[in-house]
Amino acid sequence: MSRVRAVLLVRSLARGHAALLGAPFSQVPHLAPRSLHCNSAHRTSEKSVVPHPPEPGKKPVKVPVPYEDLFQLAPGGTRDKASFMKALQSFGQHNVRKRGHVDFIYFALQKMPEYGVERDLAAYNLLLDVFPKEVFRPRNFIHTLFFHYLLQQDCGVAVLHQMESNGVMPNKETEFLLLQIFGRQSYPMLKYMRMHLWFTRFLNINPFPVPRDLPQDAVELATLGLQHMEPDLSARVTVYQRPLPDDKTDPGDPTKPHIVGIQSPDQQEALARHNPARPLFVEGPFSLWLRNKCVYYHILRADLLPPEEQEVEEIPEEWNLYYPMKLDLDYARSGWDDYEFDIDEVEEGPVLAMCVAGAHDQETLAKWIQGLQETNPALARIPVVFRLAASTGELLTASGPEDLRQSQREEDDDHLQRQQQGQS
Amino acid sequence: MQVPEAYGGLGLSNTMSTRLGEIVSLDGSIAVTLAAHQALGLKGIVLFGTEAQKAKYLPRLASGEHVAAFCLTEPARNDAASIRSRATLSEDKTHYVLNGSKVWITNGGLAEIFTMFAKTEVVDSDGSVKDRITAFIVERDFGGVTNGKLGDKLGLRGSNICEVHFENTRVPVVNVLGEVGGGFKVAMDVLNSGRFSLGSVVAGMLRKLIELTAEYACERKQFNRKLSEFGLIQEKFSLMAQKAYAMESMSYLTAGMLDHPECPDCSIETAMVKVFSSEGAWQCVSEALQILGGLGYMRDHPHERMLRDARALLFLEGTNEILRMFIALTGLQHAGCVLTPRIKNLKEGRLAIALETITQRMWDTLGRTVDLGLMDDPGVVHPSLGDSVAKLEENVYNFGRTVETLLLRFGKTIVEEQLLMKRVANVLINLYSMTAVLSRASRSIRIGLQDHDHEVLLASTFCAEAYFQNLFSLAQLDKYDPGNLDEQVKKVSRRILEKRTYVCAHPLDRTS
Repeated sequence: MSRVRAVLLVRSLARGHAALLGAPFSQVPHLAPRSLHCNSAHRTSEKSVVPHPPEPGKKPVKVPVPYEDLFQLAPGGTRDKASFMKALQSFGQHNVRKRGHVDFIYFALQKMPEYGVERDLAAYNLLLDVFPKEVFRPRNFIHTLFFHYLLQQDCGVAVLHQMESNGVMPNKETEFLLLQIFGRQSYPMLKYMRMHLWFTRFLNINPFPVPRDLPQDAVELATLGLQHMEPDLSARVTVYQRPLPDDKTDPGDPTKPHIVGIQSPDQQEALARHNPARPLFVEGPFSLWLRNKCVYYHILRADLLPPEEQEVEEIPEEWNLYYPMKLDLDYARSGWDDYEFDIDEVEEGPVLAMCVAGAHDQETLAKWIQGLQETNPALARIPVVFRLAASTGELLTASGPEDLRQSQREEDDDHLQRQQQGQS
Repeated sequence: MQVPEAYGGLGLSNTMSTRLGEIVSLDGSIAVTLAAHQALGLKGIVLFGTEAQKAKYLPRLASGEHVAAFCLTEPARNDAASIRSRATLSEDKTHYVLNGSKVWITNGGLAEIFTMFAKTEVVDSDGSVKDRITAFIVERDFGGVTNGKLGDKLGLRGSNICEVHFENTRVPVVNVLGEVGGGFKVAMDVLNSGRFSLGSVVAGMLRKLIELTAEYACERKQFNRKLSEFGLIQEKFSLMAQKAYAMESMSYLTAGMLDHPECPDCSIETAMVKVFSSEGAWQCVSEALQILGGLGYMRDHPHERMLRDARALLFLEGTNEILRMFIALTGLQHAGCVLTPRIKNLKEGRLAIALETITQRMWDTLGRTVDLGLMDDPGVVHPSLGDSVAKLEENVYNFGRTVETLLLRFGKTIVEEQLLMKRVANVLINLYSMTAVLSRASRSIRIGLQDHDHEVLLASTFCAEAYFQNLFSLAQLDKYDPGNLDEQVKKVSRRILEKRTYVCAHPLDRTS
């Protein structure tokens, strides 16, 4: 009776969730039909249900360690790639039969961002290596048809899915691992083939690519962001202020935020031609996302001149010594060659410079304007109005957000008056 | 050479000075120095100078005691409107004070007399004060004239090309050339007239080159046969001979036209001579060096020096691209004025005119024969050149039709379509060279010059080649011609210039 109950228990466990009991039980369905008839199988089934005491002379059974503990930091250790790999390898050491590997892999996938290895292909390959090999491969058409080891296949697909989300391209080693683990006719393999086809085609599809490894330094990131935005390749990036390194800061000095600006020669000329009677506006901060980092930038812009004041470009009469720049004929282009379309263009005022600053307050931006004055002396005579949006942080004041905006506007007017008085 | 005899010069006409130019051309640097001295430096004084100015400066310049230079180009930009040099009138109104610097001045280091262009303030007829260019004759003795160091050039290393700086140079008011504010016209006229001597200079050089290279080709043996027996070498020699013949004909035809009292403005023709000669020179000298092979590459032989000197000709007196624009635009301006009524008619779009035009075009394409009267009896051209003349006439007629279509399509805005203008200019240059060549060949038959049958052969070969080139260019001027790759060319260059690099992945790049 106990034998039958044991067999029924085994069957139900094998059919259902094999999570906690893992690989060893997958072998049971093959032996189960025979256990009713032969004696030797009785002993094996009993052995597999009840853990037997260690035989004398063999080495002691290792105590299974919960896999949360495997990911605990050793005292003084850091969470990095080496410790992650060590944690993965130690799973196999503690657990020859790889019990609970599915849960372990899901847990490890969760832990990857903490260890900073979510973009690392070697980590994913090692993670796939945790699967026992050759066991889940379908052997006949029924296996292929009926989702053989669906839990493990889902787990494999989850690993590949996380690779996809983080933009990691699988390689030949991944393919070989998947082949060993799941065989060719499986969902992880199918997903791998699709990834291999489409990702290779989408790799260079971005006409404005951002590098994969963004620089950590704020100034370099700002430079990258500004160059990413600027279409004119003759524009030059100037660093107006660098942040002080932490060691050298005196406790009394406030930290200087970085200020990085960009301006092209065309913008410089436009600024030189700008009418001093019209003000310039510093607007911002606007956000620019570079992969997963956000950079806030400000722009210096002018309003568009009303149509009556817009200058018409005159062709000077005596311009070219060699050939006439203008033909003296009565008729212009015929409709056959007219490629201009009737577009409704909303024209914006010219943007004259851009900058990325560590702080979004007026003092920092005023330093930027001062720095700009060195290359654009005309800027000294033009009034600059700061129109800064108060949206960078959650400013909790007793009065509501409307008062804050009003006070900002008052500040702007004061500053404008001060500037005009200072500069006139 | 062209200084009038009254002032001590030779008083040569254009034809005679062209002849002299052929001899001078054996060395590029000497030719350039002399050209800068007389065709550019002196010409201003000769054309626009007052009697006093001519009497003062020309005798010494003509004898060679003083050397002249022409100071126009500035370092910043190459257009006349952005000249930075200024000349301000002094308080006592007797002197102008000149400040400025000029770059790429031939004879800058040697010259005593400079024709200098600077901006002055001029009160216009309507009272507004504008900046206009004025020409001055500046002597080195006026003070404040300094040279930069000698330019280290690829070719023309015998000539003196350097920067010239003027600091507070005092120029008397009498030294203004032409009118105050009329400097633009002076500059244009001097430049236009200084160009045509290039044709004969190059032709003389090519003659000498053909002699040297033929000498070599007939002596040297390769694979037991002389070089001159190989087809490819023979092709090179025939190319050189044709080009030299055409250059000579064109330059003497232009010189004759300039000498003719009724024909004042030959600026297009001189430009055409310059473009054809400079490009022909570059091609032919390159081929001659090719014939010599490695030996031509060595410094011992003159070929490599001639190659380097010839390279400078392509941009020396106006770059070839600019001159093509000039040729095409001036021609189109003239044609536009003449064709204005016809184009206005076509633009109105009346049915009768449209039908007439369409039937005319169909008749053209289906096989009209053009007879412009060159071969009539008694004709201008000798009958043995009949084929070539027929080709010329057909080209001229087709060209006229194409110009009419172009003006109808583009009107004023054709100034921006540089790729089309380049083809128009090429056709014009070919047509002019064909006329020159045919007229010279038929003259030599009529008079009975020696080797006139060879001339006829050269003429007909040249004309046939030019005819087919013209047909190709004219076909490409159509709107939907498959050989007209202008749009694609512009797209490719736009991408490259946006990124400022070669935009293509490396052939060994992989994605997986």
